Amino acid sequence: MLSSDQEDLRLLRESARTLFERAGGSGRSRRLRDADGGWDADMIRELAEAGVFGVTVPEENGGLGMGLAAGGVIAEEVGRVIAPEPVVVTVGLSLGLLRRLCPDHAKMEQLTSGEISLAVAWQERGPGGAPADATCRYADGKLTGGKAWVIGAAGSHGFLVVAKGDNGPVLVLAEATADGLAIDKRAQADGSSMGELSFSGTPAEQMAEGPTVQDALAEAISDATALAAAELVGLSDRAFEITLDYIKTREQFDKPIGSFQVIQHRAVDLHVMREVAQAGVREVLTQMDCETDPKIRARLASRAKARAVTAAKKITRDAIQLHGAVGYTDEFDIGLYLNRALVLSAWLGDDAYHRRIWFDAREEEGAA
Amino acid sequence: MIDWNAMTDAEFRKKIRQFFEAEYPEELRHLPHRPKFAEIEQWHTKLHTKGWVAPAWPTECGGMGLNAAKLLIFYEEQQRWGVNRGRDMGVQMVGPLIIKFGTQKQKDYWLPRILSCEDIWCQGYSEPGAGSDLANLRTRADVDGDHFVINGQKIWTTMAHDATHIFMLVRTDPDAPKKQQGISFLLAPMDQPGVEVRTITTLSGETEFCEVFFDNARTPQENLVGELNKGWTMAKALLSFERIFIGSPSLAQNALGQLESFARGRGAFDDPVFRDRFAQAALDVEDHAALYARFADQLKRGETLGADVSMLKIWVTECFQRITELMIEAAGPDGGTIGPLQVGNVNVDALASFYKARPTTIYGGSNEIQRNILSKAVLGLPG
Repeated sequence: MLSSDQEDLRLLRESARTLFERAGGSGRSRRLRDADGGWDADMIRELAEAGVFGVTVPEENGGLGMGLAAGGVIAEEVGRVIAPEPVVVTVGLSLGLLRRLCPDHAKMEQLTSGEISLAVAWQERGPGGAPADATCRYADGKLTGGKAWVIGAAGSHGFLVVAKGDNGPVLVLAEATADGLAIDKRAQADGSSMGELSFSGTPAEQMAEGPTVQDALAEAISDATALAAAELVGLSDRAFEITLDYIKTREQFDKPIGSFQVIQHRAVDLHVMREVAQAGVREVLTQMDCETDPKIRARLASRAKARAVTAAKKITRDAIQLHGAVGYTDEFDIGLYLNRALVLSAWLGDDAYHRRIWFDAREEEGAA
Repeated sequence: MIDWNAMTDAEFRKKIRQFFEAEYPEELRHLPHRPKFAEIEQWHTKLHTKGWVAPAWPTECGGMGLNAAKLLIFYEEQQRWGVNRGRDMGVQMVGPLIIKFGTQKQKDYWLPRILSCEDIWCQGYSEPGAGSDLANLRTRADVDGDHFVINGQKIWTTMAHDATHIFMLVRTDPDAPKKQQGISFLLAPMDQPGVEVRTITTLSGETEFCEVFFDNARTPQENLVGELNKGWTMAKALLSFERIFIGSPSLAQNALGQLESFARGRGAFDDPVFRDRFAQAALDVEDHAALYARFADQLKRGETLGADVSMLKIWVTECFQRITELMIEAAGPDGGTIGPLQVGNVNVDALASFYKARPTTIYGGSNEIQRNILSKAVLGLPG
């Protein structure tokens, strides 16, 4: 697939930014957090109308067919306003799975149009946690077992569950209201919740089966990992801007604190970190659009997430320090960015994890 | 005359690469020290015959006339193959200044001699009291008849002991209201009684740096380049391309390649802590290259680079240092050993690499100065 033209990306960025800013920017995200940690139905509809959810879905399946670089542009904008809506989950995971496994299924259209949201349940607690070790069973149309770390569980209409079927791995869909489904919501630092699901004979519809499920899952995880990296890049970008504004205006000793060299040099280090992360992650997304080998795509995604997490951690944490005591209050927005960075960093693997994966992949490629 | 700029980038790159790979002497690849002219004279002659000594100069001055995009490729290939830059102060610093600000007579006289290396140049900018604060320089040049008389001292003058001429920033108006004013750009011969050169031994044991003392040294007034007291602005005008060059990924990339083969041979990758630090360094290099490409693309589109290009230098030099520190670490008990360490069929001089990386954060505007520049010119911070 060819990477979208730079000009298209610029226009896409502009319209996504306008859309989020008009809706209230990070202020809207704070209101949602304070309400119930949910999503904004109007925003989901608007995002869908702008084609956001279907950005990587081929045109013949009702999407924009623009590729991951375009998805990254949108994810960056989501990150800038720390929007809670499940953009990366939908683009990367749920649609990432469905467009590869069952592109003609009716749920595709419902997802791209924003009518529904589906969370993806693929991990399990216990050793490994990899899809191949899944103990969650699917037999006779019913699910039994548990799934962990399900992002977006609270607001979703249903769950795409990767389970062990009679003939190998299956992807099934369980409605959120299905019998025998219990959702334990674990509150996250950013006001969202992560779901622990347990199924006891929960009815579910089979969407796909066989080794293709594993393959599609691996690809969708690569996509989502790289998009989460882009979201962190946008988040870091905005967190730095907020901090820069603050050190320019906050006065101590009758001067803006940004006039002190120690503050200036710290700010420069964060700026350089942000620029390196942006350049690295954008390059990865473009390369992933041109790359077909799933192993190389996974290695690239790890490079992006490792960089983005390193940068976001450093930037949001130093941002608190540069704000001083007010940075430690809930009232200042900078804390929202710190909290969102914590959650996004932990999801799908942090920087240390991805450096390990990246190094191992590189060794494997070198040996081959 | 070949119109290099009319070629595609790939075509051009191939031409340059082929020449370097075929003609550059193997024993001079990736030289760990700066050579004296005699050591690389044959290579220089080859380049000179080919007309490739001055890639950036206009063709009418004897250069290749490369645009920014092609120039970048030329340097990338040069560094990739480990081709020594030679004694290029004349080509890189003096020539462009004479071309831009010199008289026709100065061009006709000096430029061919720079290309042929009949004159070999060193740069007299820094002084004991004028390092990062270069405008604080105090070496004076006073008019005496049709000559300038020079008194003072320059330091960190790279390879001054193997140079025939020095180009220097000197104070010609001590009473100017601002210290950046009253500075002029002057050329002077080294071979005269009033000039004394002493080498400085560095931590690595090399003697590439010198001190140059001027005691009533003389140079004709016609060796003033540009207007009197306008030297500061002229010297600054030259730095734009230098700033991306000094931030190019090649030093760190080469060091990383060395580190990898060395660490593999030494079994350092068995240690998960080392693996992680290697991965960090390798990713730092990859992502820096992505940022470098962004600036290179700007140049290729014909845009001028802003002050933000400084971040390349900060990132890559600090990264280069970390990589060479990892080499020392991977060397274990040999970490303090002078000379090449053999691992399998690879020779790595960990200590030499380590030393080589140290001054990169100091020269070309120390990284602290670069941070000051970014802070004010890019982030708009006050003060």
